[in-house]
Amino acid sequence: MKKLVGLFLVLAVTVLIPAVDLAFAAGDEPGEYLDRRVIIWNLFYRLMTVGFTVGAVVSGTIIWQCWRFRESHPKAKPTPYEGTDW
Amino acid sequence: MSGHSNWPEWVYIGVVVALMVWVGAEAWEAERLVDHIPADAETIKVTGQQWFWSFEHEDGTKEIGELHVEVGKAYKFEIMSKDVNHSFNIHDYVVLMDAIPGRVNTVWFAPTEPGTHDIQCREYCGLIHYNMRGTLIVEEPSS
Repeated sequence: MKKLVGLFLVLAVTVLIPAVDLAFAAGDEPGEYLDRRVIIWNLFYRLMTVGFTVGAVVSGTIIWQCWRFRESHPKAKPTPYEGTDW
Repeated sequence: MSGHSNWPEWVYIGVVVALMVWVGAEAWEAERLVDHIPADAETIKVTGQQWFWSFEHEDGTKEIGELHVEVGKAYKFEIMSKDVNHSFNIHDYVVLMDAIPGRVNTVWFAPTEPGTHDIQCREYCGLIHYNMRGTLIVEEPSS
């Protein structure tokens, strides 16, 4: 089952998403006059904002975990897997 | 394990998924806006070959290495190549499209103010790729 889910995920990324993308982006209706510089650079800056925010949260979480769950932390406790007296 | 809560993980997943969906929707919308060509856009045939660009306007006017356009009009580029892969790029107007032998790729733009801008090849296409340049000259409307 897990393999199937994985397979469908890979298929979705490699086949379905580009196909759906093409199907929707290639409409026949005429477009409006616009400044593509504004559209594209605005999108770029918004994506950079999201990218850096997510990056900061993810790396911050990892750094905090490394700090909090280090062996020498005052509140460190042995896990059941270690199974030794502390 | 008793006393274990995984709600922060679900919040985390929810926030990231929401951000990804938002990013996808924004990109989709930008692509939709940028891809659809205005009905009255003038077609310019762009041909790339080692190592220069040539242009043909709708009225048959041909230009090599220089392209004259007017403020306030929309232009649709039909981009092709005579030999190897090139990429037609007007950096200042964020126009970028590959020129592929046997294919016609399209991209459009509408210049907003008079000026001179660089045209360049953005796909390595051989020895003199670095100098496969042109000039876009945006002029005031003639009429």
